[in-house]
Amino acid sequence: MADSPKIKLNFRKCLGNFTLEVNCTLKRKVSAFLGASGSGKSTLLNCISGTPTPDEGEITFGEEVLYASASKINIPPEKRRFGYVFQEGYLFPHLTVAQNIRYGQPSPRKSSPAIDVLEISELLQRYPKELSGGQRQRVAIARALAMEPRMLLMDEPLAALDSALKDRIIPYLHHIKDAFDIPILYVTHTFSEAMALADEAFLIADGKIVANGEPHQLLTAPSVMPIAQLTGVENILFLPVTLSDKTLGVTALEIGNQSLVIPYTEAEVGEVVPVAIRAEDIIISLEPELPISARNILRGAIQGLDIKSERTWVSILVECHHLAVKITHEAREQMELREGREVYCVIKASAINRLWD
Amino acid sequence: MRITPAEVAALSLSIKVALLSLVIMFPPGLLIGWLLAKRTFRGKTLLNTLVMCPLVLPPIVSGYLLLILLGKHGVIGGFIYRAFGIEIVFSQWAVVLAVSIISFPLLVRGIVTGMESVPVELENAARTLGASPLKVFWTITLPLAYRGIIGGTILGFSKSLGEFGATIMVAGNIPGKTQTMALAIFSAVHLGEDASVYRLVLISTVVAFVALWLTERFTLR
Repeated sequence: MADSPKIKLNFRKCLGNFTLEVNCTLKRKVSAFLGASGSGKSTLLNCISGTPTPDEGEITFGEEVLYASASKINIPPEKRRFGYVFQEGYLFPHLTVAQNIRYGQPSPRKSSPAIDVLEISELLQRYPKELSGGQRQRVAIARALAMEPRMLLMDEPLAALDSALKDRIIPYLHHIKDAFDIPILYVTHTFSEAMALADEAFLIADGKIVANGEPHQLLTAPSVMPIAQLTGVENILFLPVTLSDKTLGVTALEIGNQSLVIPYTEAEVGEVVPVAIRAEDIIISLEPELPISARNILRGAIQGLDIKSERTWVSILVECHHLAVKITHEAREQMELREGREVYCVIKASAINRLWD
Repeated sequence: MRITPAEVAALSLSIKVALLSLVIMFPPGLLIGWLLAKRTFRGKTLLNTLVMCPLVLPPIVSGYLLLILLGKHGVIGGFIYRAFGIEIVFSQWAVVLAVSIISFPLLVRGIVTGMESVPVELENAARTLGASPLKVFWTITLPLAYRGIIGGTILGFSKSLGEFGATIMVAGNIPGKTQTMALAIFSAVHLGEDASVYRLVLISTVVAFVALWLTERFTLR
């Protein structure tokens, strides 16, 4: 595969009290921008697409300058040829699916390969209001691809969908990554989506890029907790399989000297699988022996407490893995949680999701 | 019920003038409606106020202002008289101008409402798909704003049909020349021609009713 064109972003944009200030270069095929809502990731994508115009700085795509305040260059959005997939889809309600897809197509007579990739040929005669959420999003992606873009910008394309639907659309995104040789810029607040697709991830908080690297590098960085806070919540662990039993419906993973049981997943013993646990799905207990159905009770020690306005974030070291846990202030006070204290993390097997590799 | 030739003349003048005014005012109405709905610029409030003024001014005042502007010694009327030798005041063109100024705010209001209802995100999405601002206007903004546009058009047209105050000021009430329906009713009442009044009132009512009914048909679904 040819090298993707480098995308250089170095600009500033003020919106009210909020300032977005970025300076980075995207070199890989799929880059993810990860951040909580309000972190400025959508504004970043909008500025790249051409509306709004940044206040100052430069945006270049390969050799081409798209925006430069110093030389007063500002290529209008329609000349940038960046396909944009919006969180809400924004299909044109007065046009059929086929007309929506043809809208940006350079040669409208030809059928776009995107129609096959996204399996929407059955839907072509329908109007957007006759589509389900997942279908609408697939059409929105096909519309962006049909214009034969030089780059694909995706703003939380899965956020409006429930998790079952997400799982069904992610394979399409993988397929796009392979079938279309263009860089993809993916904005999301969920780490697992970034993990599933991206070659490189940028962590964005309060309008600034605070970390970047390969997605799993970001995760194994010593400060998992702020990442979980920023991205809204997930702990991601890479653990080797010790046992996988289809009849019992469980797979066991090794976490140091302890074991983590997850719902059955196809994996060889010894294979390392990535799993995600939401910070609010972990219960902290002071006792190891509990008469409950949850399959996992992991011993650990509190490494730090971070008291935020709404919740307390507890960082627990289990063997050599950090787990971020979100609890109420009341729980923290009543349980007298402090640094160094030994605690047990209670996790239902079904709250642990295997991530896509 | 026998309709007299004078009444037919008044009715047809009203319709002719209302249609002509619509044709003339529709393009600037679209442009100003789009500016007011979709753009931010200096003087926007001023433009809006100027366009809407005839809605709140007594029509007789609008008519008087027009009379001053369009008269042989007025700024515009004087220029046209010197350049083309045409006198606008008390002509059918004066009727057209009067009803245009009075109905314009209703037309623009409808267009603005329609265009404001089109999410800017859809227009931005169209831009990312390679559409120029003009193409976005024709293919996204206009078709999605159609209800407001049709509503404004029909309301403006109905207003034009029945305009009285401004018309009588700049165009007078000359039967067969500048006498519209409203003016004919006014004259008939004055002259005590009850039968004529009833006929004209009935026709006016039917026309207004049909116009309003059509508006609802097109704008509600």
